[in-house]
Amino acid sequence: MIVSLLRAVWRKPEGRFSLVVLALWILIALISLFWTPRSLWATDGYNVWDKPSASHWLGTDGTGADVFSWLMAGSRTNLLIVILTVAFSGAFGLLLVTLMVSRNSALANTSVVVVDALISIPTVLIALILAVPLGASIMVIVVACGFGYGLNLARVARPAALLAARSSYVESAMANGACGIRVLATHIVPNILPVLLVQLSLSAGTAVLAESGLTYLGIGVPSGVPSWGHSLATSVKFINVYPLTVLWPGLIVTVVVIALNVFGDALRDALEERYVTAAQEEAEYGR
Amino acid sequence: MSHDHGVYGDADATEEQKTNPATGANAVASTDATLEGRAKSSNQHHGPKAWVWVLIAVVAVVAIVIGATIFGRKSDDAASGSGQTASTVTIGLKLAPTNLDIRNQSGSALDQLLIGNVYEGLVGRDSDNQVVPAIAKSWTVSDDGLTYTFALNENMSFSNGDALTAEDVAWSINELIDQQYHDADSLEGVTSVTDDGENTVVITLEAPNSNLLWTLTGRPGLVFDKDADYDAKTEAVGSGPYTVSKFVENDSVTLTANENYWGEHAAKTPTVVVKYFADDNAAVNALKSGDVQVLAPIVENLAEPFASDSEHYTVQTGDGTDKYVLAFNSKGEKTSDLRVRQAIRYAIDHDELIASRGGADKALGGPIPSLDPGYEDLTDLYPHDVDKAKELLAEAGYSTEHPLELTLTYDASTYGTELGDQLRSQLKQVGIELTVNVVEFSTWLQDVYTNHDYDLSLVNHNDSHDLYQWADPDYYYGYDNAEVQRLYAEGVAATSDEESDAKFAEAARIVSEDAPADWLFNFRVTTAMANGVEGFPFNMNQTLLPLYDVTYTA
Repeated sequence: MIVSLLRAVWRKPEGRFSLVVLALWILIALISLFWTPRSLWATDGYNVWDKPSASHWLGTDGTGADVFSWLMAGSRTNLLIVILTVAFSGAFGLLLVTLMVSRNSALANTSVVVVDALISIPTVLIALILAVPLGASIMVIVVACGFGYGLNLARVARPAALLAARSSYVESAMANGACGIRVLATHIVPNILPVLLVQLSLSAGTAVLAESGLTYLGIGVPSGVPSWGHSLATSVKFINVYPLTVLWPGLIVTVVVIALNVFGDALRDALEERYVTAAQEEAEYGR
Repeated sequence: MSHDHGVYGDADATEEQKTNPATGANAVASTDATLEGRAKSSNQHHGPKAWVWVLIAVVAVVAIVIGATIFGRKSDDAASGSGQTASTVTIGLKLAPTNLDIRNQSGSALDQLLIGNVYEGLVGRDSDNQVVPAIAKSWTVSDDGLTYTFALNENMSFSNGDALTAEDVAWSINELIDQQYHDADSLEGVTSVTDDGENTVVITLEAPNSNLLWTLTGRPGLVFDKDADYDAKTEAVGSGPYTVSKFVENDSVTLTANENYWGEHAAKTPTVVVKYFADDNAAVNALKSGDVQVLAPIVENLAEPFASDSEHYTVQTGDGTDKYVLAFNSKGEKTSDLRVRQAIRYAIDHDELIASRGGADKALGGPIPSLDPGYEDLTDLYPHDVDKAKELLAEAGYSTEHPLELTLTYDASTYGTELGDQLRSQLKQVGIELTVNVVEFSTWLQDVYTNHDYDLSLVNHNDSHDLYQWADPDYYYGYDNAEVQRLYAEGVAATSDEESDAKFAEAARIVSEDAPADWLFNFRVTTAMANGVEGFPFNMNQTLLPLYDVTYTA
């Protein structure tokens, strides 16, 4: 299924663009585990803010370390953050969806109101509060983003989930003694899968942006851990004098976020085709 | 960063379904999915164009920003040479005072703004950190060093027109001691401050204090109007060449020439506006656009465009007493070992650190900077020597299998992450694994300063005459050396400058040899200003910024 989905995404030009960018990202992240052009900790105070050259492809930063190596190594931190955020927001979102379509109407109504109330809290505020006990840490980004995006996901997926949960086949499944988790896995999740995947791909894109923003504020990735946000935050102070160093991480973040969003679009289109066919079959079967 | 792409409950739901033949006839479950899809992107069939345009737009914006940064020089050409002396000079500074109450509010921003400009001290300080006459025109010290007799200037007045008399002087200092205003503890040994009703003030001490005169150049010596009634948080009544005509918290202070000024330092520019910029880039832009004529300090690395444009700007670095102290907890589990501390000092390449910051700072080998009494060049005590550092670490029982692990705790939002990264890199070369723990200043105060819970700490000690910190075993350094404490006490009790300088120098050398810290460098303030500005002080201008001489000729 995944392969055929990806193939469908690949068929569209924008899908191809996003797949290439994402594949490169994963590849570079893997390579950086074993190799970077320069050691991250090789600082050279006599050659700070150097222009791009043969020895430093993208120049050096304020400590004299190689910008290219830091960006390479940053790709794995950002990948990790994106994966964790997507997993957390997906799990949290599904949990909320389950509550919101529960047969216990009091519970369902309460959770809808609670989700609507919580959704108004900005992710940055959550991150700031989390940063008090945790300090600057990857967990702050993951939990804050996962929480915020999970709420969004639940709200967006609720209508589809509700329709599925109230459908006759779920009724009959329940009558046959299927438990809640089984119903969720076999009936509700497949029904909300398109919404789910699109929302998760959006979360992934926003998580990359959030990492940069929160790290710039000093509550994201801790000092000494390579990330794109770290590269941006350290160079942005000198944007007046060394604008090039800001350009590289800025470009990478932009391209990756565009790719993730475009990927979401393409994935939705691909799923829609498949989904419509499946739904039609089901409708016929139901009739 | 919260995003919201959902449109659940949207009234368009049915309409959308009708217009879509693909989903038109199908089961209800697909409605919302379709809706969600449509709502997210209305032009999905133009997908490729959309992202191409976005990418092009981003690149264009980036290009414009860079272009504007590089080529967008000064909208207002600074020194066009019309020869007019400006009636207003605007100065950009960094740290803003939260209020004007110099008796109670701490922070060097107030000293910088008010001392010498609005308030005057019994004695003053020149740009070499030496004591000079101010309210007192001269003074004598008794042979036993216990009695200081100050002869005051005549016909002095405050900005409100009140006469400034010896009574005001004695009252101001006595109030400071009685009310325990800020810095009162530096006058601990003072037994009495009296005036003779004429123009003489006498201060007597219980023990000689070679620091007394210098102390009186700061807040303890400031003279206030005994009879004035004003809100010290937002107003200031002093005897200096300027008065505060407008105070906007965390933004700006407007100084206007004092009409009733009595002395030689009359203001040359009628109005001086001090603007505060917490953000370095905003400050640089303000100087570029002509909003300010002077910027102090400017980050050395950011000064490059101004330094290379000598036709319009002057960039100059002044001496100061700021010491970037990398303290090693003398009572720490690992850092109590002298060999460990010495190894760290040998491992640090100060020249590299200074070079990476733009090269303006000065190497400093001990606790006393060049503008303070007792200075001696101690940079040769621990030259950069990786082999020696490794040797010492091996002696202390550390090796590649069993590396020394240390944690550096500091506030990177103030001092930059670069220093931590560079220190980690330098120490790694001798086999020390340094973990950099970046904290808020309040956390630093709690953990390091108050609880002494740290291995390595980095902070800028900007006070002058602060050798006492090394003679106080309860200070956060945890440094306890009886010989240093004795020498410091003797230096303070000395009745001649030569004697006290020698004692301080001797104490400083012992401190440095014991390696309770490494002095990374003596930070020097870089000032950038438009050509045409004259009389701006460069030395120590973060604590002492006399503005009476400043003029700007456009």
